[in-house]
Amino acid sequence: MQAIDPITFSIVRHRLFRIVEEAVITLKQVSGSAITNEGHDLMVSLYRADGSLLMGGVGFLHHLTSASEACKSIIRRFEGDIHPGDLFLLNDPYTAALHTSDIYLIAPIHFEGELVAWSACFIHVFDIGAMTPGGFIPDARDVFNEGFSSPGLKLIDRGRLRQDIWDTILNMVRGPEMVALDLRSMIACNNVAGDRTLALVGKYGVEAFDGVCSALIEQSETKLRRRIAALPDGRWQARQYFDVEGETIQIMATLTKEGDALTFDFTGSSPQSIHPVNCTRWATWGGLFAPLFPLLCHDITWNEGVIRPVTMIAPPGSVVNCERPAPVSVATVAAIQSVNNVAGTLLSKMLVSSPDARGEASAGWHGNHFVIFTFGVNQRGAYSIGVLTESFAGAGGARTFADGIDFGGELPNPISRMANVETTEAELPVRYLYRRRRVDSAGPGFYRGGAGGEFAIVPHDAPTGGIDYVVVGKGTGFPQSDGLAGGMQGGTNAYLHHHRVSGDLASDGTPLPWGTHMLRAGEALYVRWNGGGGFGDPYLRAPELVAADVASGLVSLEAARTCYGVVFGPDETPDLDATMALRADRLSGPTAGGHGSGIALSADGAHCSHCATRIAPAGAPWKSQARLWTRPVASLSGAAASVDARVEMRQFGCPACGTLLDAEIALPGDAYLDDIVKPSGAARAAA
Amino acid sequence: MIASAAKRDLIIATDVGGTCTDTVVFVPGAPVVLGKRLSTPPDYAHGVLDSIGSAADALGLTLAELFARTRLFIHGSTVVDNTVFERVGARTGLVTTEGFEDTLLVTRGAYGRWAGLSEDKLKHPVHTERAPALVAADCIAGVPERVDYKGEIILPLDEVATERALRHLVETREVEAVAVSFLWSFNAPEHERQVKRILTRIAPDIYCTLSSDIAPVPGEYERTSTTVINAYAGRVVRDYLTDLEHLLANSGYDGPLMVMQGYGGLLPSGSAADRAIGMLECGPAAGVIGSRALGELLGQPNVIATDMGGTTFKVAVIQDGAIEYAIEPMVDRFHYTQPKIEVVSIGAGGGSVVSIEADTKAPLVGPKSAGSRPGPVCYGLGGEEPTLTDVFMLVGYMDPGVFLGGAMTLDPDAAHRAFAARIAEPMGLSVEQAAIGVYRVAAAQITDLVHEITVERGLDPRDFVLHVFGGSCGMLAGAFAAELGIRRFVLPYTASVNCAFGLISADVAHEYIATQLLPVPADPAAVEAIFAPMAVEARAQLASEGFDDDHIVFERSIDLRYGRQVHELRTPVPFSGPFDAAGLASVADGFEALYERRFGQGSAYREAGMEMTRFRLTGRGVLERGTPVPAALEGEDASAARSGTRRAYSVAAGAMIDMPLYDFERLRPGNAVAGPAIVHTPITTLVLQQGQTGRVDALRNIIVDVD
Repeated sequence: MQAIDPITFSIVRHRLFRIVEEAVITLKQVSGSAITNEGHDLMVSLYRADGSLLMGGVGFLHHLTSASEACKSIIRRFEGDIHPGDLFLLNDPYTAALHTSDIYLIAPIHFEGELVAWSACFIHVFDIGAMTPGGFIPDARDVFNEGFSSPGLKLIDRGRLRQDIWDTILNMVRGPEMVALDLRSMIACNNVAGDRTLALVGKYGVEAFDGVCSALIEQSETKLRRRIAALPDGRWQARQYFDVEGETIQIMATLTKEGDALTFDFTGSSPQSIHPVNCTRWATWGGLFAPLFPLLCHDITWNEGVIRPVTMIAPPGSVVNCERPAPVSVATVAAIQSVNNVAGTLLSKMLVSSPDARGEASAGWHGNHFVIFTFGVNQRGAYSIGVLTESFAGAGGARTFADGIDFGGELPNPISRMANVETTEAELPVRYLYRRRRVDSAGPGFYRGGAGGEFAIVPHDAPTGGIDYVVVGKGTGFPQSDGLAGGMQGGTNAYLHHHRVSGDLASDGTPLPWGTHMLRAGEALYVRWNGGGGFGDPYLRAPELVAADVASGLVSLEAARTCYGVVFGPDETPDLDATMALRADRLSGPTAGGHGSGIALSADGAHCSHCATRIAPAGAPWKSQARLWTRPVASLSGAAASVDARVEMRQFGCPACGTLLDAEIALPGDAYLDDIVKPSGAARAAA
Repeated sequence: MIASAAKRDLIIATDVGGTCTDTVVFVPGAPVVLGKRLSTPPDYAHGVLDSIGSAADALGLTLAELFARTRLFIHGSTVVDNTVFERVGARTGLVTTEGFEDTLLVTRGAYGRWAGLSEDKLKHPVHTERAPALVAADCIAGVPERVDYKGEIILPLDEVATERALRHLVETREVEAVAVSFLWSFNAPEHERQVKRILTRIAPDIYCTLSSDIAPVPGEYERTSTTVINAYAGRVVRDYLTDLEHLLANSGYDGPLMVMQGYGGLLPSGSAADRAIGMLECGPAAGVIGSRALGELLGQPNVIATDMGGTTFKVAVIQDGAIEYAIEPMVDRFHYTQPKIEVVSIGAGGGSVVSIEADTKAPLVGPKSAGSRPGPVCYGLGGEEPTLTDVFMLVGYMDPGVFLGGAMTLDPDAAHRAFAARIAEPMGLSVEQAAIGVYRVAAAQITDLVHEITVERGLDPRDFVLHVFGGSCGMLAGAFAAELGIRRFVLPYTASVNCAFGLISADVAHEYIATQLLPVPADPAAVEAIFAPMAVEARAQLASEGFDDDHIVFERSIDLRYGRQVHELRTPVPFSGPFDAAGLASVADGFEALYERRFGQGSAYREAGMEMTRFRLTGRGVLERGTPVPAALEGEDASAARSGTRRAYSVAAGAMIDMPLYDFERLRPGNAVAGPAIVHTPITTLVLQQGQTGRVDALRNIIVDVD
């Protein structure tokens, strides 16, 4: 720490936290919209004079780094023309934004004429003037279909709103008064951040302020590097797939940890798609940090210091680094989310390799954030664009010490929530038939994932007889919430249109391709969403816990038998003898307990964490030495099932005791995910 | 001293808090009398009598003599909060709409996982949990029925299935209480009432709460949670109040028992027993009522009330005599929807542990607390980690010889040793320098918090008077008041028993609410038709409690929002007559002004129009209580109260200086003390910084003016 005295450091740091928090509150209050207030689909951060991240707020976390790049880009583009009282707008995905409808408003903060910091915020605006209302454009074929986009324009010039620009933007969007309010809320948010920062600088002086900022960044970097250095050196792999209109997209990622640095390499990912699922480079960069902040840095200030130890390799022209003018509007719930998922899995695989850090690891949370926007005339005769908020109630992944949380949320946006049924029914001409947790949605494991859910809606009092909606649905073929340490993945999603409201809405019906659809009188829309991934071998879960989940409707009798190896008698209580016998088919050691198994990778080699059998030497691939069971995901019980017969689940087990060490989702022929921890220097020398 | 042969002219108010049970006795024509004793969990009623007894002692009366002269007994208690926090309520079942059985359990998704958590926990989602619901998953029964958003019945209640479900809950699950919460029931309560009739028929002893009774407002998760909390705590509260009435009767008091509610009004015990949830956080609410009453007495309609005890710092705002209501209140980790006075609380108190961040050497205050056991190091009760109280000691603000009126002596050497080893040496500073530094950090954090609920809501602290309550607040107020630009702060005479003082300042108040969506402008007759039945009901209720028309006041308010916006604000109706177009327009104007003040300039969104969503009527029964009698003012010279000099921290000097000490017990009304100076009262300490002058007023409050 430099010359800054610790008292000033402590006071200024607390005030910086408060500034970001107050700016978030301002944004929500002025905006007043459901997606901002319920979904918490927003972000506010402070940046240093050079655009580097100073203090990130708790919001949609993939934006923290992208808004940093947005600041830097404004600094380059407007060099010599940045003045006190200016405010810039940027939403071009090829410059820094994630997609066009997440608009950044960015303001320089000058103290007595000197640029001392930047504030930036985003919300998902009501509309962006694209082909489809609401900002997600499933049918877009290039970025020009996706509404207006600016690589940087000055919206306010030295305190004066540029009315011509303002009018032009509002002239391009549906619901201009709603977009105006969204923009006003972001202006108010930047004003608050600026005023408060200036008061702080005024009290402590530029030098002290800068000193604290440098110290904060240095502190974060030091802490994170120390944390990384304490973990074993190694390499871990993760892979996600999703389908779009018959095209299968693959996101492949390898994490290499060496010393106190991390490298995420996306080599092996699919070429960019014609569909708007692609990540620009900045989107991938933000996407990998979104889970990194909460998983690795919960007690570290989220700033530039966290970014420095991390490197990314993303092949140009791929789905994780697309080239203009590839369409990207759906990326936040497509490839960006897959990047979130692989990064979360990689970090958790790394954390679980260390006995000290494994408590921070987690199986996949809500791997498949889906989007359903409705639009049309509501029961009060008003045109409305609405978002169904259930996807903000995703399920938590299993932890290394507890089950995942049913409807627990998601890591990239840790404080979201869904609207009440009554709120939605008051605003949209629909009626829910049910909304509840879904059987077999949770990934089975020694600790199971949190349960996902299902709902069904019908039109109700719709003046035009129904409502239109956009579905950006994926994850019906490939489960997306990864399991960890032999735990299984959470279930798949389903989006089913019913021409009649009868029978089991969850199993019949027409699967919806993504795109725009109509829900008419007498019809129903059914949606099921994934649970979190499981942790550890489900065969080791205590039968009474499985019975409790069966009793509360979260696990079917069939899944209890096929996934958990628990057999129920005719009185619907577990038959312990039959359970022991079934489990003994695979397990040769103890049939319950332990830590839930999983592969234990260390500098001493790969071991079964249940029976301690050594499976492979350190640094060598271990999966070829393990037992392998492959089964089609489509054959799995209930909601875990897939609509795609090709998709397989590979379960790798201990050759000695049979417990599960790892599970992966794959297409036949794709390579095994390869995880290794490097041998220690001593072990290498001995070898 | 009071003659014991007398009429019934006294009012007693007793507030049961977590640590102490406080009493205020209002004696016409005399200063108020205070009583204080430790609370006696789990048999709280015992401590109530102890506390009243201590006030009786002060009056030179026996308990029986005191009660014989008492015309009104007012009570506040943490019984419901304790029932929820300690999970000792009834085994509760929930009957809800089929298909929505999980509403309570899944808490609108992550909301129930993160709500109420501090920022450091929000950033650590893998280690957050949702609190298990007060209803077990197997005690939730969905029954076929459905009402739509207009209150139209889509599917009639299946009575056979309902009876089967209730029998299952009562006979198999052995529930002791049942909560009933159906979708849209506030628009069509028939189905919930049908359930109650069936339950009464098959199990008349089961305590039952209907969501359409307890919380007739939209938002099924919060409404259901409210209903469940009420059912869960209902019987505990009923038994508690019945026991208290018996105990009071056996002690010679047979007058009315009034019970404080979280919205700041009183209910007769009979009504309070049916609305357990109303008692949540009624102590802090009473504190705000007390602050408002004191503000009225002192001619200060704008008040920031701050209270800092051992574990928490609480702050509330009163503007123009109006109180703010909480938007999303919670108890423990559970949401509920009831009118409740907003009191913001953070975990910073005298017991907050001070530590040093390893890499930066920056001092941290909290979040860990040493509480009262083992407590601060200087208490000598085994605490080893320095706390904020130890810092107050080290900067010279506490009198080591006399603490809590001499009930306890302190060990400054132990505090010094612990602070030196754990804080000062790692920082490379002297104990004095380090203690001053930590004090500044604490004052800055409190400044940030008060900033949050004033400036962030468009209020300028310079327009407010700060009230200082609790054992620790007076040692920080001079520092943070100055930084916020506050020009006057007050250490109230009743500071140590402020919640009880608030009880005695409150009126009986019944709250009524009706939910209906009306656009603005609306037909005045339609609005009148919503309020009229509530007024009839309120008048009949208050009349049955003995209030004549001269003592009945109606306060009306309407919740409004802009179209397509989520923020709703409770907006007062600024007139008492019937509604007309101009009257409704004045309500809408009031809403717009409130909205911009609450949510910031530019937040108003007139383009989308306005909607009225809820209509509220408070029926107030005004209690006669008279006003306290002021003492004669004497001269400014306070030298007779000088009790010595101590080295203490002066913010202006940035260092320890010799500070004069004063004994509050010897200060006379009219005396003035100029800072820097320290005033010790039997229960707390007031530090006056440079440029701050404290005057003792005729009610023995210390009014501090800041230059």
